[in-house]
Amino acid sequence: MSKQKPTVMVVEDESLMLQAISKKLELNGISAISCSSGKQAVDYLNNISELPDAIWLDYQLKDMDGLEFMRQLKKNEKCAQIPVIVVSNSASEDKVHSMLALGAKQYLLKAGYRLDELIPIMKQFISENNTQA
Amino acid sequence: MDSQNSQSVPQSIDQILPQSNSYVNSPSPGKISMKIKYKQLIIVGFSVLTVGLLSIFLYFSEKTVAYLLVGLIVALVLVVVETILLLLNSKVGVQTRDGISQLPKSFDEATEKLKASYFEDLEKKVSEKTKALTQRIEELNSEQHINKEAEEKALIEEAKEEATLTSIGEGVVVTDPQGKILVFNQAAELMTNWTASEAVGRFWFETVPAMDEKGYLIPRIDRDMYKALTIGKKVFSESIYLKRGSGKITAANTAAPIILKGQVIGAVQVFRDISHEKEIDRMKTEFISLASHQLRTPLSAIKWFCEMLINGDAGELNPEQKEYAQNVSDSNERMISLVNSLLNISRIESGRIIIDPKPTNINKLISEVINEIKVKSDAKKQQISVSVDSDLPLVNIDPQLIREVYVNLLTNSSRYTPDGGEISVVIYKKDDELISQVSDNGYGIPKKDYDKIFQKFYRGDNIIKIESDGNGLGLYLVKAIIESSGGKIWFESTEEKGTSFYFSLPLSGMQAKKGEVTLSS
Repeated sequence: MSKQKPTVMVVEDESLMLQAISKKLELNGISAISCSSGKQAVDYLNNISELPDAIWLDYQLKDMDGLEFMRQLKKNEKCAQIPVIVVSNSASEDKVHSMLALGAKQYLLKAGYRLDELIPIMKQFISENNTQA
Repeated sequence: MDSQNSQSVPQSIDQILPQSNSYVNSPSPGKISMKIKYKQLIIVGFSVLTVGLLSIFLYFSEKTVAYLLVGLIVALVLVVVETILLLLNSKVGVQTRDGISQLPKSFDEATEKLKASYFEDLEKKVSEKTKALTQRIEELNSEQHINKEAEEKALIEEAKEEATLTSIGEGVVVTDPQGKILVFNQAAELMTNWTASEAVGRFWFETVPAMDEKGYLIPRIDRDMYKALTIGKKVFSESIYLKRGSGKITAANTAAPIILKGQVIGAVQVFRDISHEKEIDRMKTEFISLASHQLRTPLSAIKWFCEMLINGDAGELNPEQKEYAQNVSDSNERMISLVNSLLNISRIESGRIIIDPKPTNINKLISEVINEIKVKSDAKKQQISVSVDSDLPLVNIDPQLIREVYVNLLTNSSRYTPDGGEISVVIYKKDDELISQVSDNGYGIPKKDYDKIFQKFYRGDNIIKIESDGNGLGLYLVKAIIESSGGKIWFESTEEKGTSFYFSLPLSGMQAKKGEVTLSS
């Protein structure tokens, strides 16, 4: 079943960033689900009927870090398949490796990308996911 | 023993010969005549007394003749006794006395001669013996002195060694070729919880086990002392030592073999507790990580909102509004670049950058960099030409680090060259090195700035007015990367004419270095 409008869940605890990202996604025809904490995101995922096509994840969240989020995500079989793209401002070699090892599709540095560079990347993963589904 | 000997060594001749009053201790003449006169007096007195008593007795007795005879005999006896007494004295008595003591001179002389010769002989013997003994005493004294000196010296050396070992802040452990502990200083005791008396005789490897940062025990063959003993070279390392009982310390170690006449006769391990330094380092790392995140968050927000603003995502802007928004965006980009550079520098300085060499295609690397730079150089209508040795092999370099070097040098070239200028890149092999040259015909570097341009935040006076962009950190970073990769960097420049930067990299490849971070992460 192909979706009318792709959905991306944005997990970001900085409200300004959340606002900018969501706005940009919407402007590009992508529906954005905003979550300002890891817990909120996990709860949502466990209860939602329609899962998002991709997850835009900030590594440094107030209540958990990216690793913990990935682990929680994996607990739910359905959610484990959703592509996770990490867009963060802290990116040490260790973090990148660990996240990719846990199944994240990509790890990008926020300050190094314009929004309109990030959108195509999201779109690419969404379409990949859809073709796989 | 020594003290006893010194006491028994005779201090003077007096102790050698027994004390005898007569021949050696000759009193003074004055005293002699006094003595003789005294004796004379006694004898005369005695005689008088005897005769007197006899007379009285005779007077009062009948048997005159018998008693007279007795009296005479007594008187005679007295005289004989006196004579004998006088004879026994020295001849000086002969001189001062008259009367009974007038004995034949020859007798006196003979006695004298006998006495003299006997005395002379004795004197000679005594002086010989004295000489011999003095010599012997001297010898013994000097021998003893030397022995004592030598012993003292040895004691001092030992004390010095002991004091040195005790006061050294580092743990010092000396072992035999098998690793059996021979010396274990105080610092080692404190750091490992073993006392020297317990540790000496035990084997180093089992007594103080070592772990790596991941917590795995280091096997004996990987311990630096083992390597030092077998390879015969100094080995440096950092490891975690397990104390006796519980507890551990992070130690920086040097193990060196002790070589005598080409043979390894033991090893010495010196280690220093760096647990505190490690803790500080870890705190610095955390701080840098936190700082990078905290600094970049607002910068990213500005970046993206400006982007949307300029894009018209919040409504179309008039040209002036767009221009202002663009200004904000440009300044923001400089801030982001500055934060990145500062973080890279603090990482390089704390030695935490990973050098991860891979066989790299230089041609491909430089092409990618040029593509990036072209955005700026095209805007300034500058020409970039690239010439790479065609037969360059895949070079073992860290592509991310070296890419950073090229990006910085080329950005500088473009920035500090006026519009329409020319930039060239030449990369070639020379002996066992890879030489890269980045040249431009731009503003050049003034001579007075030659020794400053690699300094942090330094920007040449001549370009500061022309080009506001640039944080003065690029060349510092480039130099740090090149030098930690085992290469060199140098330049030639003429003001108003242009600049050429050169750097070399060993073709044998960079030394892989395990750090913790990559650039700009």
